[in-house]
Amino acid sequence: MAFNYDKYLRVNKMPTLWCWGCGDGVILKATIRAIEKCGWDMDKVCIVSGIGCSGRFSSYIDCNTVHTTHGRTVAYATGIKLANPDVNVIVVAGDGDGLAIGGNHTIHGCRRNIDLNFILINNFIYGLTNSQTSPTTPRGMWTVSQKNGNIDPTFNACNLAIGAGASFVARESVIDPKKLEKVLIKGFQHKGFSFFDIMSNCHINLGRKNKMANAMENLEWIDGITVASRKWEALPEDEKFNKFPTGVLRDVEQEEYCEMYAKIQDAAQGKRAKLTQDDFEKKI
Amino acid sequence: MGTFQTVNPGNQPVWVNTNNCKACDICVSVCPSGVLGMRYDPSSTLGAMISVDHPEACIGCNECELSCPDFAIYVADKKEYKFAKLTDDAKARQKQIASNNYMSLDEKGVR
Repeated sequence: MAFNYDKYLRVNKMPTLWCWGCGDGVILKATIRAIEKCGWDMDKVCIVSGIGCSGRFSSYIDCNTVHTTHGRTVAYATGIKLANPDVNVIVVAGDGDGLAIGGNHTIHGCRRNIDLNFILINNFIYGLTNSQTSPTTPRGMWTVSQKNGNIDPTFNACNLAIGAGASFVARESVIDPKKLEKVLIKGFQHKGFSFFDIMSNCHINLGRKNKMANAMENLEWIDGITVASRKWEALPEDEKFNKFPTGVLRDVEQEEYCEMYAKIQDAAQGKRAKLTQDDFEKKI
Repeated sequence: MGTFQTVNPGNQPVWVNTNNCKACDICVSVCPSGVLGMRYDPSSTLGAMISVDHPEACIGCNECELSCPDFAIYVADKKEYKFAKLTDDAKARQKQIASNNYMSLDEKGVR
């Protein structure tokens, strides 16, 4: 008896619509295994996904799912979480969904430190619409919109999340699913905004034109650009620029938005005094 | 379409649900001990299908199951099957399979 996937997935939707070897499936598997390890009741889990290949995520998990508009995943999830503070909300977005069109929602979700789990599936390209440059596409790569090589600098999503104030930030790739599962468990149990930048492969729409035509070649390329965060710190400054540190990059305790929202609800109902600056650990 | 076949079909270390497999080669490439290989199959979309060639060499590391994006391959629980230890022969076989374009060693490695 292997892991019981029937309990967590919508069996009639299988096999998945993703291309062969797509990292989204590995992340889907790691997510349901992490949910099982956390012991969450599937009726108390909500998956919110946007548009893109990652948008299919919510179709496959058998729990409360919302397939929302492009880029607005965090906005929807914030509403769901504030209305149902006991529900564990997992947001799944791609790099185009979460960083380009929905970048604004992402940073404000991070800033509020609301208890969401934001899984950013970063495959370095707009895969669903056939290879346009995304905010994370590395320089010099062929894309449909920049056929002579991409000149836009690459977005470092984890630095963005740290700067915006997320209290749990981690980066992992689909090459090591065991590590990925551990990081997901740690983030799911964290109270506050958990931001996961998960590097995934798109050997079909990124790889074919960039000499990585099958899944393993693309995964090896991802392996080459990621370094464990401890090793990354020891690298000389000029090499740091081209590598991404993996592992848990930030894990701190911060005031959580739902708790403070409950306080102002109480204040509005006259159960407690109005909030002042003294009610917060960090003022201004 | 295919449902998951998570129940062991009968004292097997690894088993495959061919309805879900899309022949992406990932499980073959992550296996440390050369248990798996691809075989030509005209009925499959990519022209190949996964096969379990050396079940006796499986060390139960679970890498293939975790790396499979399509929920097509399953590894037995450590309690219900006694797995082998990793040997040099198995490592050498894995290298050969990788250089044979992830095809089983009795198939030609051209896709």
